[in-house]
Amino acid sequence: MLDLLIDNQAVLIEGVLTTLGVSFLAIALGAPLGLILATASRQNNGLVRRSARVYVSFWRGTPILVQLLLIFYLLPAIGINLPPTLAAVVALACNTAAFQSEIYRAGLAAVPEGEVEAAQMLGLSSRQILTKIEAPQAIRIMLPALVGETLALVRNSSLISVIAVTDLTRRAQQIASSTFQPLDSYMIALILYVAIALALSAIGMMLERRLKQQEAH
Amino acid sequence: MKHLLLTAAATLLLNPVSAFADDLLSRIKADGVLTVGTEARFPPFEFVENGEIVGYSADIMDVLMASALPEVELKRLDLPWQGILPGLAAERFDYVVTSVTVTPERRDAYYLSVPIADATMAVLKRAGDDSISAPADMAGKPVGSQAGSAQLAALEGYAETLGDAPKVSTYTDFSEAYADLAAGRIDAVVNSLPNLLEAARQRPDIFEVVVPTFGEPKYFSWAGRTDEDSASLNALFDAELKRLIEDGTLAQLQEKWFGGAMNLPSALPTK
Repeated sequence: MLDLLIDNQAVLIEGVLTTLGVSFLAIALGAPLGLILATASRQNNGLVRRSARVYVSFWRGTPILVQLLLIFYLLPAIGINLPPTLAAVVALACNTAAFQSEIYRAGLAAVPEGEVEAAQMLGLSSRQILTKIEAPQAIRIMLPALVGETLALVRNSSLISVIAVTDLTRRAQQIASSTFQPLDSYMIALILYVAIALALSAIGMMLERRLKQQEAH
Repeated sequence: MKHLLLTAAATLLLNPVSAFADDLLSRIKADGVLTVGTEARFPPFEFVENGEIVGYSADIMDVLMASALPEVELKRLDLPWQGILPGLAAERFDYVVTSVTVTPERRDAYYLSVPIADATMAVLKRAGDDSISAPADMAGKPVGSQAGSAQLAALEGYAETLGDAPKVSTYTDFSEAYADLAAGRIDAVVNSLPNLLEAARQRPDIFEVVVPTFGEPKYFSWAGRTDEDSASLNALFDAELKRLIEDGTLAQLQEKWFGGAMNLPSALPTK
């Protein structure tokens, strides 16, 4: 297995970078979209609220594989022709936006109603209430869930090879079929995915600790 | 109307030159890029080594591009077999340079090129498995092949002629079928002879090819779309491949990748 790793290290690194690049772009693009959706689903306007709910149900309720194929093969039919990597980022961003919006919604809902009312009594503007009262508490509540969503997205990105993006999984498949050593190739991919997950969890823990310290001051 | 305008504007933005050229081949020449779809998990035809797609078809494309489209850059997308023919139909790429087994149904739906290799079906077993010594011995045993492949169709057709039908498992690609054969979950894999010879050559301790082959002679070809837009590109590939068969270039490459030359007609047999 070590020979296989050394012989193919260049392409494996490329695979890891593709997996990480696509995942992070998707998370970053999905975040503002998720925030918009979370805000929309708290609106009083029925149409806005319902549209947001339909969007979230659709992207949370259908398989990612189907979503990828939809973006890659069906959008050209209406004249939108995205190159493979961009199509993968768009599909995963649309998907994670739905999941992230639920995290944001739950985080904001977890701030006790009484605190918001008290802030209103004290004459704070709604913007001040969001930035001084709601957001600081919500972020702390949401952080573990957001780290979890990032890990889930990295795992989900292993499907993007169906639309011709050569990620870590595809690299392992290529190595498996040219060397006829599937077990070792997939084991290498597994170890690399575990390494990515451990690194991301460590970053998440570090952020959590830092937020706790801020709170203590 | 608004949609039409939007589409036209988007096409212009994304593809400033090609919007005005008349057919696929002239657009390829104008843009300087030929995009082809490949399933790079089919050694020795097309597979990945050090990040590059190499193999028999890569060598053919090198010769072909240099002589027919010297100014054009070749862009080869790697995607699973199940996405290859749908992707061609959805115009995600211009042409398919991956081994497509010729079947009557595919000849109706796609434009199949001049044959590039022999694809007659054969059986792979675990090395030293005495229970299979001819294709007919697959009767009643668990066997595997790739989902959506002509090899699977051939296996299913052949299975019906056996008294005790084999239990057929399908896989997203042949590598998984080989892995299951090695693991003992299935007893045989049906694929085209050149691929099986390569598997046995790479892992002689694990795999062994069962001779003889079974079924009628079959061929591998490449594929284009049947629309008028693609006609000149299809003709260019056919003319080049025919030339390479007749001047012995393909025979040389077969010697290099398969260890022996194949007897290939310079056109597909009539249906």
